[in-house]
Amino acid sequence: MERTEKIGLGVATAGHVLLFGLLSAGFLSTPNPLKLKSPPMDISLVDEVALQSTAPQISTQPPPPSVAPEQGPTEDAKPAPEPAPAPEPTPAPPEPKPVPKPLPKPTPPKPVVKEVPKPAPKPAPPKKEVAKTPAKPKPAPEKPAPKAKPAPEKPAARAKPAPEKPKAAAAAPSKAKSDAKGKSDAPAKASGAGKADKPKGSLLGKDFLKGIDSKEDAPRTPAPPPAAAMGPAQKSALDAELRRQLKPHWRPPSGADADQLVTLLEVRLDKSGAVIGTPEVIDQQGVTASNRPQAKLHAERAIQAVKLASPFRNMPPEFYDQWKWLRPLRFDARLNR
Amino acid sequence: MTLNLPAGAITDAATISPLALFLQADIVVKGVMLGLLLASIWTWAIIISFSFSLRKASKESRKFEADFWKAEDIDRFYESRGKTEFPAAKVMAAGVTEWRRSTAQKVIDRDGTRDRLATSMSSTIASEVDRLSDRLNILATVASAAPFIGLFGTVWGIMRAFTSIAAEQDSSLAVVAPGIAEALFATAIGLFAAIPALIAYNRFSHGINRLEAGLTRFADSFYATLSRELEAQR
Repeated sequence: MERTEKIGLGVATAGHVLLFGLLSAGFLSTPNPLKLKSPPMDISLVDEVALQSTAPQISTQPPPPSVAPEQGPTEDAKPAPEPAPAPEPTPAPPEPKPVPKPLPKPTPPKPVVKEVPKPAPKPAPPKKEVAKTPAKPKPAPEKPAPKAKPAPEKPAARAKPAPEKPKAAAAAPSKAKSDAKGKSDAPAKASGAGKADKPKGSLLGKDFLKGIDSKEDAPRTPAPPPAAAMGPAQKSALDAELRRQLKPHWRPPSGADADQLVTLLEVRLDKSGAVIGTPEVIDQQGVTASNRPQAKLHAERAIQAVKLASPFRNMPPEFYDQWKWLRPLRFDARLNR
Repeated sequence: MTLNLPAGAITDAATISPLALFLQADIVVKGVMLGLLLASIWTWAIIISFSFSLRKASKESRKFEADFWKAEDIDRFYESRGKTEFPAAKVMAAGVTEWRRSTAQKVIDRDGTRDRLATSMSSTIASEVDRLSDRLNILATVASAAPFIGLFGTVWGIMRAFTSIAAEQDSSLAVVAPGIAEALFATAIGLFAAIPALIAYNRFSHGINRLEAGLTRFADSFYATLSRELEAQR
């Protein structure tokens, strides 16, 4: 009896140790596909990218390249009238060539142009070529007049007159493009014809390049002001950025129906992103009988979250007007998700 | 931004390692687990030793009875086989000893001898059954008490898990799960100890009853034989 008891105790102990050893070594551990497939990962939100992209800059860029070729003929025209002897012969040939190619329509204006003093007419023809519509020839003669004035005043400096004209030219083509882009093909051909002639007149090439440079600089500076207008994409990105920075500090109270509580805060920020004064509770929504005890705590936690997150980083300074006064700043269960 | 989930909790909860669950547990739950583990070991020790001894006793008793009824002379059979330690042999030894003492006197009191024979053999059967079923009550106790002890550990562990939820104010599954898993582990060990104990108790008590019935039948037959012999004695 004693012997069998000893044997029994030894066998039982050994069996238990063996079983628990196997279990500890993962003998029966269920394969966990979720664990294998999801190693801890860093989640980086793409808000920063969205904040930097602004639509207006994109819209300003297209004009310069398309305008550049059109300017060729106008420059050709300019030097021709005033600088006098040498350039005159070269500009003269380009004019007739564009004329025959487009159509008979441009030709009637020319005789008119020739009657007017020489400086004025030459800028005019290219514009008329750009806009083939019969209505435009009328404004065209008006425009040459102002242009003609600067031209005679500064005969010596060729570079300066060039930037002035490009602006005027840029305005004209943009109008033309808004009317019809299909028509812009014709002026391109005409300018191409003008370029073919340019190699012959080597002097014009450098002026032409200067004109392009000055022109590209001009639109770039005015571009940022329109960008300050905040689009829906920027607004949602700004909201997401705010939410992202508030989330680590936002600990809503738990309890019955606590997720229905919504606290609306009014927060003022300075340019560095720091909170000015104390955030104020504008309103609380979703208060029911069961979550009333949590309502006050909810508001306190919301204010605390704003204070903890206080120097808000990555806020775009150009949109300061949009985020200096956050009202309402919404705290609800969704923010926690 | 990084979501800092408690990585340790996830990995530990995903494994079913008893050692990890035990080490995480509260001191009370640890005590419950250790006690239940010891109870399980003790249960299995009893099961193993008991199954050996019971099978041996019933087998030898059956063989002894068969041999006894084939034997021609009771006195000679008693001299050769009666000194062994099996229940049937002890019953027979008690009967033979009482018979010899009673018949040694000059005047034989037949009724008194019959009473003494019956009493000595039945008390021998009772003592043998008592000796064999000594450990059976432990199995019964473990079978009935272990689930409740395990349940106590589970309730304690879940209480602790809830207080930790209240302290952290975060009711996500990653916070709750490890505590509940370790708490449930206590009930698992309790059932692990109780189920074999219950099965073994039922099976062994049935075996003991059968052995007792067999011994009683043998004692009755032997008593009838001795009684007949007493009748013939003059």
